Amino acid sequence: MERGYWIRSKPVYTSLLWHEKATSHLVVAQGQGGMAVLKLFQLMHPKQAITVLYMPHAEADYSKTLVKVVPEGLQLLETEQEVLTKLDSVLQGMCMGMRLYIAGSEDFIWSVAKVANKFGIEDVGMMKELTGTLARPIYCVHCKATTHAVTTNIVKCRGCGRMLFVRDHFSRQLGAYMGLMIDAESPGELPDIEEIYP
Amino acid sequence: MSMIDIKVAAVEQVTPLVKHFTFVKQDGSPFPAFSGGSHVVVSMNVGGRVHRNPYSLMGSPVDTEAYHISVRKQEQSRGGSVFMHESVEVGTSLQITYPVNLFSLAKKAHKHILIAGGIGITPFMSQLVDLNRLNSNFELHYAFRSPEHGAFAAQLKAICNDKLHCYADSKNERIDLIDLLSKQPLGIHVYVCGPNPMVVAVIEAARNLGWPENHIHSEQFLSPGIGEPFKIQLAKSNIEVHVPAEMSMLEAIEAAGVDADYLCRGGVCGRCEVNVLESDGALLHHDHFLTDAEKASGKKIMPCVSRARCDRLVLDL
Ligand code: FES
Repeated sequence: MERGYWIRSKPVYTSLLWHEKATSHLVVAQGQGGMAVLKLFQLMHPKQAITVLYMPHAEADYSKTLVKVVPEGLQLLETEQEVLTKLDSVLQGMCMGMRLYIAGSEDFIWSVAKVANKFGIEDVGMMKELTGTLARPIYCVHCKATTHAVTTNIVKCRGCGRMLFVRDHFSRQLGAYMGLMIDAESPGELPDIEEIYP
Repeated sequence: MSMIDIKVAAVEQVTPLVKHFTFVKQDGSPFPAFSGGSHVVVSMNVGGRVHRNPYSLMGSPVDTEAYHISVRKQEQSRGGSVFMHESVEVGTSLQITYPVNLFSLAKKAHKHILIAGGIGITPFMSQLVDLNRLNSNFELHYAFRSPEHGAFAAQLKAICNDKLHCYADSKNERIDLIDLLSKQPLGIHVYVCGPNPMVVAVIEAARNLGWPENHIHSEQFLSPGIGEPFKIQLAKSNIEVHVPAEMSMLEAIEAAGVDADYLCRGGVCGRCEVNVLESDGALLHHDHFLTDAEKASGKKIMPCVSRARCDRLVLDL
């Protein structure tokens, strides 16, 4: 673990807060992120139009409450792919001044961010809340495959099968942390595998 | 700071107040290429005193034969622009810094809205070349006092066609900023360069319409104001420097032979920042770089534009 010094590339997540100057709001959430959305709606509602895209997850489903709390503009979706497709079409009709709020796992947040990037929305223009899990998407620097929902310090790459050490170095472009082969020098010699991103 | 020796190859009066200067290198070798929006600092010796003023490069960034700047004569200024207008002619030797870009185009923008006021058109002139070369989507809104003051309007028309929108104050034509910045599709960046009220108006309008900060770009070189004279102590050099009324702190430090860092000399880049070790009065911050909290803390100052009203001011230089 690269503790004790500041890693610039590491994303910063905050609690969602309405942006008061926005001309419209788009909230995209998954699973436990539903709680972040509920917290957001505890705050004073902005006057501008609000759209919420929510995808319940096996571990957390806040759809019932969201239906009651979100005045209008709530859309419930079943899969991440559906969310991303919907997001793409919603963004096409949006104007400058729209603010994007994302809540969910790191995997989810950065999949949403990637779609938003296509529309010229940059990382700093999105508010992100990490919820539920610290699980990381890991990009294998050797075979370029991304292994999702990694909770351990070392993981087997789903692309090439190498044992990867999970780094804190994050690429916004790829929406993933870097994974580096750990036993390159002495194959098979692995430190203990521990769950550190539960 | 390493400088380039140049000589003036051409001077052209563009409008009643604006002159265009063409520089070539003294030794005839090519200049470094630069990116649209870059500026250089021109160093001139005005009656024994060195003035250093930043000017945007307005030629094509790929033209390394010559650099081009335009200077508006500022009658109330401390003399730099008047010197450029009255004493610089073809053949004059000057020194300039290497180009620095503090006003670059956002690479990922889907479209660029450029807003210029008066002489603020100059950084856009080089950006336009880049935009056209990359086939980028843009529009240019150019406001000036009256048609005779609309420098380069004809040339711009030829480059931009219907992407150019001109506004003459004398004909009561104004840019409707709210209209311009509302209902724009996502991914747009806005850039403004011009007089202070215009820059402030554009930034405010965009912010109020919810535009994220990183989509709002501005350039505005402040000229160091004239103020009360004061004294500073330079701790590392162990000398005292007198800052006269019409000199900036940075100029006074340089005149005392101390090498200080700078890029813009206009309070925007942050390069000249120095730590204030001690002060017994008010720091007069004039820069756009330090945050309000930093200004209030009194621990830092930008000597290129800021001044002080105190008896004792010790800088970490
Ligand atoms: S030199 Fe740029 S802020 Fe002073």
